[in-house]
Amino acid sequence: MFRQLKARFGGPLAAAILALLGIWLIVMVTLPQLQMIDYSLRPNLLPAQLGGPEDRWTLTNYVTLFNNEIHRAIFFKTLWSSVLVTLLTLAVSYPLAYYLAKLASPRQAALCLLLLIIPFWINEILRTYSWFIILAFRGPLNEVLMMLGLIERPIRFLSGDAGVMVGMVYAYILFMVFPIYNAIESLDDNQVRAARDLGAGTLRTHRRIIIPHAKPGIATGCIMTFMLAAGSYAVPALLGSPGSRWFTQIIYNWFFEGGNWNQGAAYAFLLLILCIGFMSLVMKVFKVGLGDIAK
Amino acid sequence: MSSQRLMSWALRGYVVVFFAYLFLPLLVMAAATFNDSRFPTVTPWDGTTLRWFGELAADGGMWQALANSLIVAAGVLVVAVPIGIATALFLNTVSSRAKPFLYALILSPLLTPGVIIGISTLIFWRQWGVSGGILLTVLGQATFIAAYVMLMVTARLQRFDRTMERAALDLGASQWQMFRRILLPYLRPAILSAAVIAFLQSFENYNTTLFVVGYDTTLTVYIASKVRTGLTPAVNALGLILILVTVLLAIAYEVKRRREARVPGV
Amino acid sequence: MDASVELDRVVMRFGDFTAIEETSLAIASGEFFSFLGPSGCGKTTLLNIVSGFLTPSAGAVRIGGEAMAGVSVNRRPTAMIFQNLALFPLMTVFENIEFGLEVRGVDRKTRRATSERLLALVALEGSGPKRVTELSGGQKQRVAIARALAVEPRVLLLDEPLSALDLKLRQHMRVELKAIQRKTGITFIYITHDQGEALNMSDRVAVMSAGRIQQVADPMTLYRSPQTGFVAAFVGENNRLEAKVIDRQGERVRLDGGALGELSGRATAPTPLANGAAAALYVRPEHLRPVAPGQGLEATIEALHFEGAWVMLETRLAASGEKLRVQLGHELSRQHLEALRPGQNAHFGFDPEDAVVLPDDGGPALDEATGEVVEAGHV
Repeated sequence: MFRQLKARFGGPLAAAILALLGIWLIVMVTLPQLQMIDYSLRPNLLPAQLGGPEDRWTLTNYVTLFNNEIHRAIFFKTLWSSVLVTLLTLAVSYPLAYYLAKLASPRQAALCLLLLIIPFWINEILRTYSWFIILAFRGPLNEVLMMLGLIERPIRFLSGDAGVMVGMVYAYILFMVFPIYNAIESLDDNQVRAARDLGAGTLRTHRRIIIPHAKPGIATGCIMTFMLAAGSYAVPALLGSPGSRWFTQIIYNWFFEGGNWNQGAAYAFLLLILCIGFMSLVMKVFKVGLGDIAK
Repeated sequence: MSSQRLMSWALRGYVVVFFAYLFLPLLVMAAATFNDSRFPTVTPWDGTTLRWFGELAADGGMWQALANSLIVAAGVLVVAVPIGIATALFLNTVSSRAKPFLYALILSPLLTPGVIIGISTLIFWRQWGVSGGILLTVLGQATFIAAYVMLMVTARLQRFDRTMERAALDLGASQWQMFRRILLPYLRPAILSAAVIAFLQSFENYNTTLFVVGYDTTLTVYIASKVRTGLTPAVNALGLILILVTVLLAIAYEVKRRREARVPGV
Repeated sequence: MDASVELDRVVMRFGDFTAIEETSLAIASGEFFSFLGPSGCGKTTLLNIVSGFLTPSAGAVRIGGEAMAGVSVNRRPTAMIFQNLALFPLMTVFENIEFGLEVRGVDRKTRRATSERLLALVALEGSGPKRVTELSGGQKQRVAIARALAVEPRVLLLDEPLSALDLKLRQHMRVELKAIQRKTGITFIYITHDQGEALNMSDRVAVMSAGRIQQVADPMTLYRSPQTGFVAAFVGENNRLEAKVIDRQGERVRLDGGALGELSGRATAPTPLANGAAAALYVRPEHLRPVAPGQGLEATIEALHFEGAWVMLETRLAASGEKLRVQLGHELSRQHLEALRPGQNAHFGFDPEDAVVLPDDGGPALDEATGEVVEAGHV
């Protein structure tokens, strides 16, 4: 690899490139992950006990999740809710992505894309906070619903999972719209026209032509959204607690309230496995590879 | 044909509703800034005021957090942009049987939840005596932001005509001169865009930062703690200012892009 | 200054594939030398070996008598004009032309003086401050030439530089390239698959096929006396008739054409033609002319293509069924032309001086889609 780099960039530059890449992949990406796994396999010991007879690999920290019914329930709730958030986001995003890619004029599309990006340049906390205001017990949503006579008493939106999911769909929509938009945009218009011409209706055209073409984009969007939802801390912390806790919050508590980093590392690794598992599943179902995802 | 028109109009209606959904919360948040109420809300309206801006300006913690956020973002640029460029050059140059594996490793920070990047960074540096703070925040954020930089630089690099390189060498340039005078200027727009995105990603990051920030505070961490503890409309004032800055940046970016689009051929 | 280029037993292999078979060649200082051949014949590989982008698997390259082994691309006294020109799009015309001087540390004033002089040479005065993206195709071509000349190369390497231009401009640029070569006295090595370009501009041409030089000669000799079947078929157009050698006296060879009767032509290859050996007779369409019935070869006209200055007839020989293409020019009267109709029979003859006899190599390989010659025969 150095030989190829040197042939193109000369020795010093090639060395610099490999050094930067090496530092990143080894010191910043790989070693910390391995260290985290190592941590998760060791018991939480006092500093004096480190290196002692008890400092050896064990699965105790993983057994904790298995034995703790509450944590287990939260783990599976996080899984199902994240899947639900992913599906909801997909349903909301697909029509928009299709409109932007195929129906809007170039000017309209450019404007819409700009409008889409603006909320996402503002951070996740503020995006979530705005829903906090709307969903508050005495907030505008309850007021409007009562004014319309749809409800008699205000609803406590902010204590269940529904609020969290609404906030998440809102927070991660861009990560679904953009990959799908990019994928649909690369579809030749003539294919759509040909399908119509051959008598395919709107639904059939989508099912047989557009969605198969957009598969890599849909897969990317789903993987990203699921990962963001399952790994979100801000949204459940603001919109859910204390009635609805997320797995990330438990991890956080192990680290900064329970003071048991080893236990926290085990939970974090389980979260990572969950995300990798979902990603592998999506990639298998959609028959796409890693190369299709990073576009 | 008419059913298709119906679908098309339904879709247009949907787009309008969608953008309302996208911006209504931000408008509500902005409006609450001006409500003279102890709590951030628009209902009931207790009178219009500007006093929350004053309170925000008088909040020393906010200014400190803002300063920290800027320092972190600058640090992330210094670390992530060179790594991202180097990785893009590497992927564009090297062909090897190990490449698919390396590529997966390079993409992995993008597909890993931010909290986990934060946690692993925190754990890894503990053995070297580095605990949570600005330095670790820079390292943690740069870990995945470098991958974004790589993607943006790669996109442009793939369109580079490598005969340019050969031409430069043939005319007597050294490989360094070729890089400096031909390749780097070509990549410049992508590098600038990547730097802007990297800055924003860093500035708004919460999930990774939360674990590695230690006793320091960045602006997002500050906002989150305000929301959860001392809830006041001063947070809305800050949000409104960030929205305005964002909109201005977005407009400036768009204007610049349109101006560049008029220069032919490049 | 010695600007000769010498290839000494150069071989280029990529893994198991031999791109260039052992090749030796001497190009004189100040010569306009072309490599002509179909795509994939190895001509671009040879150019890359001379420029230093490729290191030969064996053999040596010498420029001006100096061995080039170990001399990297950026130190060689050569400059290349690339097929797509490879102008730097972010730079002005001036910056493009001055790039080679800039990287050598030449000061700004000298650089500017050189680029002004070269812009005058390529008739682009005043275009210096323009961006190269504002230029037309022909103008870009000239900038590329000026940029290459700015580094004062001893050898200019041109890789099909005219292929992107339209026909008219291409013909015009041929004249200019030749003029620039004469003015500067630099050795030009020109790569092309267009025989018109090669024959028109070059002092000498090397015709290549499948990694092997088939023949090196001046354009007239290539046309008159091809030494291999590939050259005969690739340079210009040729009818190929299979026959057996009866006997040979000096250059003149008598052949037994089977059903066609006795034929004769000129032997051009150094390879011997034994009596009774299989041979091929090549006669160009433009060397055939109508003769009185009973003489020459009888053929049935199958199609007639009117091209203005000439007429191309596709005919089939009555005796053997082989195809014969005949090009008739302005020497024919209108009445005569009008008598030639598809379906009619006519007789065609040729001067044995114009026909070439070569050992039978099985005929060249043809491209299935276009019918163009792509590779020499192997028998």
